[in-house]
Amino acid sequence: MSNQTVTITINGEAYEESVPQRMLLVDFIRDKAALTGTHVGCTYEGVCGACTVHLDGEAVKSCLMLAVQADGHELTTVEGLAQGGELTQLQKSFNEKHALQCGYCTPGILMNMTEFLKDNPKPTEEEVRRGLVGNLCRCTGYQHIVEAVLDAADKQGG
Amino acid sequence: MYPAPIEEYVRPGTVDEAIAALAKYPEGDAFFVAGGQSIMQAIKSRLLRPRCIVDLQGVSGLKGITADSNGVRIGAMTRYREIAEAESLNGAYQAMRDAADRVGDRQVRNRGTIGGSLCWNYVAACMPPVTMSLGAEMELIGAGGASRSVAANDFLLGPLETAREENEILLSINMPAAPANAGSAYKKWGLVTDALPVIGVCAYVELDGSGACTSARVAIGGLGDGPAHSGAAAAALVGNKGNDADAISAALDAAANETETQGDLWADPAYRKQLIRSLGTEVVTTAFQRAAS
Repeated sequence: MSNQTVTITINGEAYEESVPQRMLLVDFIRDKAALTGTHVGCTYEGVCGACTVHLDGEAVKSCLMLAVQADGHELTTVEGLAQGGELTQLQKSFNEKHALQCGYCTPGILMNMTEFLKDNPKPTEEEVRRGLVGNLCRCTGYQHIVEAVLDAADKQGG
Repeated sequence: MYPAPIEEYVRPGTVDEAIAALAKYPEGDAFFVAGGQSIMQAIKSRLLRPRCIVDLQGVSGLKGITADSNGVRIGAMTRYREIAEAESLNGAYQAMRDAADRVGDRQVRNRGTIGGSLCWNYVAACMPPVTMSLGAEMELIGAGGASRSVAANDFLLGPLETAREENEILLSINMPAAPANAGSAYKKWGLVTDALPVIGVCAYVELDGSGACTSARVAIGGLGDGPAHSGAAAAALVGNKGNDADAISAALDAAANETETQGDLWADPAYRKQLIRSLGTEVVTTAFQRAAS
């Protein structure tokens, strides 16, 4: 077994690393790039959505990809949302609406909903709830999460 | 859930390169990966232990939807997201949009592909019954550029089995140009929103000038032996109109009666038959409406 060298750009910074082919992208992000905001909530079954990141601008589950598949691509993780220390509106709305309790699922939900609001800037509550199907939260019952997403849409003037 | 060691990962740029990369390994040791939303699960659970992964993401000519007077061609690497948004499929092939819009979740639809799903042919998948009902043809290409076209019905064999040879790549899913008065619809039922189908039903109808059905195909997914046509439902719909609720209901009763359903944790056999009736009535009615508009 041999390693393979990959270059993956995460939040604007290029990470060139030698990795085993079987390494999952989420482990590259957490262990090689040391960006631990991206979480693993299930045992890599692709069911919890906590590992959601943006691959070339689109929300994907980083446990359902190998790191080598992301070679040459651009990722954004939750650490890349805030610019210059300024939280995004969605992040502020999550704070104001108490949309996180333990916070474990929050990074994945932020990444999914950030892209969701770009596609659909004025969603209905039902559309938000359907958009969240790929993200599990065991704390909040989703009510505050839905409120926060709708609040962000409202304040972004979608 | 972690892959066994993988020796080689390649990302070819052409179909020929992809087939050549796979051919370097004995049968069963190398796998094509499209969107990876199903096969990566199998690799992580070690149901599959590939020595080599041939990633098709860079192969040109496998993506996108084209519609012209000859029909509709959907590249095998076209993602659910793009199919769900494709207005060129409206009317005759709108069932494809119904299905793609409800696969998994947003993240899965951003990566999962129609070709990957069809080549995996999981029993609880939406695209197999949809392509059967729409009369789609699978265009495959093998070593040396030899291509062949296989009807969906002949391509989809038992669970996790297809007519694709190991060294063949599915290029596209092709549907013939539909007559003006044709419509289709798909709906599934699962335990939670957008879940895998316990039962999914797809209907395609063609109408004459009076609105009466001249031809129909009804295919059912979520069955233990793989998706199946209901010949009885299709035959019973011919000659009837979309506003004839009794005739549509009778056609779906016939479908439920002739279809062998299995019981499992999610539904017993009788409940599956009820789902065939209720989902089927809904999609047949919608298909008639789409055909007439």
